[in-house]
Amino acid sequence: MDIVLGIRVKDSVILATSKAVTRGISVLKSTDDKTRVLSEHSLLAFSGEAGDTVQFAEYIQVNMQLYSIRENYELSPYATASFVRQELAKSIRSRKPFQVNVLLGGFDAKKGEPGLYQIDYLGTQAELPYAAHGYSGFYTFSLLDRHYRPDMTTQEGLELLRMCVDELERRMPIDFKGVLVKIVDKDGVREEPNF
Amino acid sequence: MSDPSSINGGICVAMTGKDCVAIACDLRLGSQSLGVSNKFEKIFPFGHVFLGLTGLATDVLTLSEVFRYKTNLYKLREDRYIEPQTFTQLVSSTLYEKRFGPYFTGPIVAGINSKTGKPYIAGFDLIGCIDEAKDFVVSGTASEQLFGMCESLYEPNQESEDLFETISQALLNSADRDALSGWGAVVYIIKKNEVIKRYLKTRQD
Amino acid sequence: MAGLSFENYQRNQFLSSRTNGTPKATSTGTTIVGVKFNGGVVIAADTRSTQGPIVANKNCAKLHRMAPRIWCAGAGTAADTEEVTKLVGSNLELHSLYAGRAPRVVSALQMLKQHLFKYQGHVGAYLIVAGVDPTGAHLFSIHAHGSTDVGFYQSLGSGSLAAMAVLEANWKPELTKEEAMTLAADAIEAGIWNDLGSGSNVDLCVMEVGKDAAYLRNHRTPNVREPKQQSYKFARGTTGILSQRVLDVCQVEEQVVDVEA
Repeated sequence: MDIVLGIRVKDSVILATSKAVTRGISVLKSTDDKTRVLSEHSLLAFSGEAGDTVQFAEYIQVNMQLYSIRENYELSPYATASFVRQELAKSIRSRKPFQVNVLLGGFDAKKGEPGLYQIDYLGTQAELPYAAHGYSGFYTFSLLDRHYRPDMTTQEGLELLRMCVDELERRMPIDFKGVLVKIVDKDGVREEPNF
Repeated sequence: MSDPSSINGGICVAMTGKDCVAIACDLRLGSQSLGVSNKFEKIFPFGHVFLGLTGLATDVLTLSEVFRYKTNLYKLREDRYIEPQTFTQLVSSTLYEKRFGPYFTGPIVAGINSKTGKPYIAGFDLIGCIDEAKDFVVSGTASEQLFGMCESLYEPNQESEDLFETISQALLNSADRDALSGWGAVVYIIKKNEVIKRYLKTRQD
Repeated sequence: MAGLSFENYQRNQFLSSRTNGTPKATSTGTTIVGVKFNGGVVIAADTRSTQGPIVANKNCAKLHRMAPRIWCAGAGTAADTEEVTKLVGSNLELHSLYAGRAPRVVSALQMLKQHLFKYQGHVGAYLIVAGVDPTGAHLFSIHAHGSTDVGFYQSLGSGSLAAMAVLEANWKPELTKEEAMTLAADAIEAGIWNDLGSGSNVDLCVMEVGKDAAYLRNHRTPNVREPKQQSYKFARGTTGILSQRVLDVCQVEEQVVDVEA
């Protein structure tokens, strides 16, 4: 029931994740951050089985850091997505696979373009203009199909995201305690404080 | 529905003609009933050989990377591109290596042998059994529909432009009878020294 | 009486509670046979390959060459029959090169059964092995679990019952080559007509002592397709094209990669 949403606009990627941590019938936390910064210009948002998610995200995070220290080179978002996909594709054929779905938002500083990648726990990868994991897609894709334009500004993207979150708050059967919104653009990763 | 080879959906077909071959696929990537992407191409070129991969999308991506790796090494060792016949054996042995934990894909190969100039197509099951055909090969969630369409529309020794119409109509009408396939289509028309890639106008439902 | 009949509902409910799901009307099929004759042996197969109830290939080859004069007919999982005969065929050649002698059918048999037994039936190859070697003509059959049989005539696959009926009715000792070929082909035809999993044509391979093996692909073709009476060719321009790109076959891809110092 976690919400993970992503929108790629003209020169940034917006990622939104729900702030609730739920176990059974209880909400344990309402300020959770379901994202990890992988490099200066890429951010990983995740959902899935408790425990697996953070374990996997931080495994990716440290290996990205290790690579950048060793090679003194920042991977492009596409290369980063390929790495994450490969790890999940390896995992699905192991004894105990990670049950983690991710969205990767990045900004290719060399090409000057944003990229949003959706990867599920099987290792299915797709580059998309807007993406979601879990049930949230069923509520928001119709809005995104109707209002999305590839040339939107970040501000317009945030307004579209607002519409999506309003719809989720209206239709979702449980309180997900709002969303944490982060933006990835040429200046790096930043949180949108007043969403 | 939890059958791995029909989670994501998708189809591929290849046909031979007079001094030409054609290979085509749809563009849908789904997750059960939900459409995820309409830009998911299932045909991968390796030199002048073309590989179509349907089935579980993660395995489609993994295998396309495996074969890119293997054909690149082949090119370095042999200083030439791999031929369709050789590539077919490579696909077969790669799949059979995973006999007891297979990739859930249905590959098809199409190309023209650069030495003999003869068209070549082949299909496989998920563990690499080669199905060498001289007319057409099909694979994917609408393979039954494709068999029917190809069996009735196909005729041998067509010119490339006529072959294009035949393979396109076979693909399109099969996809329209399968909920998991469609959302766009790509056709490659392959001649001895010219390859044309076309995106087709298709239904979007 | 109007409406649907539910008279079998309770029975089928009971049936499915007693078995592992309801029975499926699918067949995994092949008909293969082997027949010995005076001075040689012949094997034969149909040419239908199936995926569930769908005919995947109407003219596939089920006769495999393991050595120039040792051939093998395969039933069961198609990929397994292909790979196991290829593997043992290669080892047989290495073995004969090492020994400096022509490979023997018993060697092929032993290598196949040891491999199949090791995999406890999971490699689903059901084979009829036949050939000629310095010790004469031989005919064997092997099951996926590794058991083997010897005999003057053998049949295997989903059409083996139909084929065996013909073999049992018409086989006699001291067959000539032509009689054996006819008997084998007739047995395969019994499978082609009476077994859903088998169909199309008859492939044959005749191995005679002191002679090269004769592989007779499509020895009988009783199911030739009628030519189409009408053409379904579409007029050029029927299919709508959104965009097209002409790729050069020998396209040289070049990319400038910016490598930081």
